[in-house]
Amino acid sequence: MTSEPDPIPVTRLLPWLVLVAMLAVTWGLWDHERQVSRKELHAQFGFALRDTVGRIEQGESACGQMLRGLQALFATTDLTARAAVRAYVETLQLDANYSGIQEIGVIRWVPTARKPFAPVIQTVPGLGSPRETLGQDAWADPVRRRAMERARDSGLPALSDKLGAAPGPGRDAAPGFVLYLPVYARGEALESLDQRRATLLGWVYASFGMDEFMASLSGKQTPGTSLSLFDGVSPSEASLLFRASPPAGDGAGSRESALSAREYLVLGGHTWTLCLRTEKAFEARFGRKNDQVIAVIGICLSLSMALLVWYMIAGRAHALRLADAMTGQLRHMAQHDPLTGLPNRALFSDRVRQKLADADRRGGHVAMVFIDLDRFKQINDSHGHAVGDLLLRQVAKRISESVRASDTVGRIGGDEFVVLMGDLADAETALRITEKILISVARPFRIHGLELAVSCSMGLAVHPGDGSDEATLTRNADQAMYRAKGAGRNCLKQAADPA
Amino acid sequence: MSKRCLTALLIILASLATLDAAGPDRSRSYTLALHDHGLLYSAATNAGIDKDVADELIRRSGCKVTVSLMARARIWQLIESGGLDFSLSGITDAERDTFAGFAWYFSDKFYLLVRKDTGIRNQADFEKNDRLQLAVIRSFRYSDSANRLVDRLQEANRLSQAGGLEPLYQLLVQNQIQGMIIEPFDYPALQEKEIREISTIVEFPDPPVPHGLIMSKKAVSALEQEKWRSIIQDMRKDGTMLRIFEKYFKPDLAAALVNF
Repeated sequence: MTSEPDPIPVTRLLPWLVLVAMLAVTWGLWDHERQVSRKELHAQFGFALRDTVGRIEQGESACGQMLRGLQALFATTDLTARAAVRAYVETLQLDANYSGIQEIGVIRWVPTARKPFAPVIQTVPGLGSPRETLGQDAWADPVRRRAMERARDSGLPALSDKLGAAPGPGRDAAPGFVLYLPVYARGEALESLDQRRATLLGWVYASFGMDEFMASLSGKQTPGTSLSLFDGVSPSEASLLFRASPPAGDGAGSRESALSAREYLVLGGHTWTLCLRTEKAFEARFGRKNDQVIAVIGICLSLSMALLVWYMIAGRAHALRLADAMTGQLRHMAQHDPLTGLPNRALFSDRVRQKLADADRRGGHVAMVFIDLDRFKQINDSHGHAVGDLLLRQVAKRISESVRASDTVGRIGGDEFVVLMGDLADAETALRITEKILISVARPFRIHGLELAVSCSMGLAVHPGDGSDEATLTRNADQAMYRAKGAGRNCLKQAADPA
Repeated sequence: MSKRCLTALLIILASLATLDAAGPDRSRSYTLALHDHGLLYSAATNAGIDKDVADELIRRSGCKVTVSLMARARIWQLIESGGLDFSLSGITDAERDTFAGFAWYFSDKFYLLVRKDTGIRNQADFEKNDRLQLAVIRSFRYSDSANRLVDRLQEANRLSQAGGLEPLYQLLVQNQIQGMIIEPFDYPALQEKEIREISTIVEFPDPPVPHGLIMSKKAVSALEQEKWRSIIQDMRKDGTMLRIFEKYFKPDLAAALVNF
């Protein structure tokens, strides 16, 4: 019986290949989703940054516009028209939208040759605590002076550096700044720097508390972001203007994956550094969680698919093995005697042809022995077929034990056995083996407590002397076996013996 | 005699009508915004190339134009929405072409200004070194290579933005950033000793980029845009534009900028 080749290695590897391929696809999808998610998060962060910058710029611009109104007032009246200034500010109806304004005031420019100065000549309180004091020389303070110079030279609103808390009880402790706008003499040309300096009358200003200014901005800070504003371009605790973080427990806390950006705002010719950073809450709010879902589902699907493919391949292999085993069983059944397991007539005949062919090619002798049990029918009749069958099995066993490993023992009828012996140097060897069989079978058998005695009659035909083909040998051995029966049983007759 | 006078009057009126038809619509007022950027416009001195170009445009058009100062990002936003009619020295890209028309009047190249101590010799070196930070002016776009560099560094979180030019120089001096993108009209700032000592120039491998009058498509009709474009062309043809640039640059550089 030839065995089927093993399933090809690719088939065995297929579940792993499927697993690897599916995991690769999962990784690809997961990575793609992660990139998309990251880009979306970056886009959201960019939007938050632009929105924050826009809100601050808009707030500063609105205050600048308000101050321009006051500046315009002096196109029709004098700098010292205190009642007009007060009336104008009251007309503005500064509400919560301008809650950052601590006060609005007017500064007069006194360009004396010896020591110019710029006293605050009027203050109108806004919604916060006033920062400037009436009569205070703003020019003497270098921080205020720098901004006033910028406003004077450009004709545009100029923002001061960070101002600390003004001294005095009840004053706002938060940092702030002052926005200045110049007032020039009416009707004078303002094209050149010299013209602007020469025609300067003073400034209008608005002072701001930083916390209130930030609180008054329209819109709201993007959730999940922490915002810091610094004066100038070098962030430090000393230059800190404002800081706002998400409330504790609302996703606050630094992470390595946090997005952060710095933006440098130019407001009123002055630079503020804005630092925006995302907290956990930002990612929770704007981040997509699809990558984790894809990873989990992808891995589960990959494993399931690999398992399914493995199951299908294993099932197929099992089915093949089963079919193979059944085919072998059927083949065995077709070629062997079901009772004794010995080759049947068909297989025995096949072996005979092989041995004869070998002998013809290489020389040597082939012996065929026909064995018939003596009076077996009586045992069957006396003890039943079950005992008879058991006896046949034991006889088959003893015959098989008596011959050489290379010999073939077959059963071709009810109590008829055949033995094929090849590669014999001479006929004597065959005679010795048949003698062993005769003696072996003659020994009593013990079956189900019964001691049974049986003998056999044997006929021997040896190739090439007793026949050169299967049919002749078979016939001659069979005839010799019958002669042995006729000679009183329990003996061997050779085909070559005289009849 | 009276017939002759009437004929002459009609001819004069017809001539005026023709002139009106050739120039921009004077029945409305316009808005134009400048941005504080080196020699283009300096708020500190209320002077600059853009200011001069704006003055000449206003003079030639005869229109009432309110000029104001704004951040560049705000200018582009208003040009797109139609809240602002004009701005100056703008460059275009595919997105801007959808909402703005342009009348070109000069062309120049962009340069990467880097700190000398970085040892950077070209754009790729800067991009490869993760420790180097670039800063740009918000909403500014540049030539193709410069735009690619900006976009990649922004993706890598290596980009800061500012509302104007001045903070960028401060950051460069303080080594908070190691590079910024400049144009020839930023040169005077370069002449400041400190900047010149610490920095070097790397040229982007791009052709010069045209700059021009920006016109909001929502606020200014295509027909009116042509009329404003025609004024800019006249300023270039009669040498006015060159003279404006010669106020701020050496003659050869001014000619190189205007003649493109």
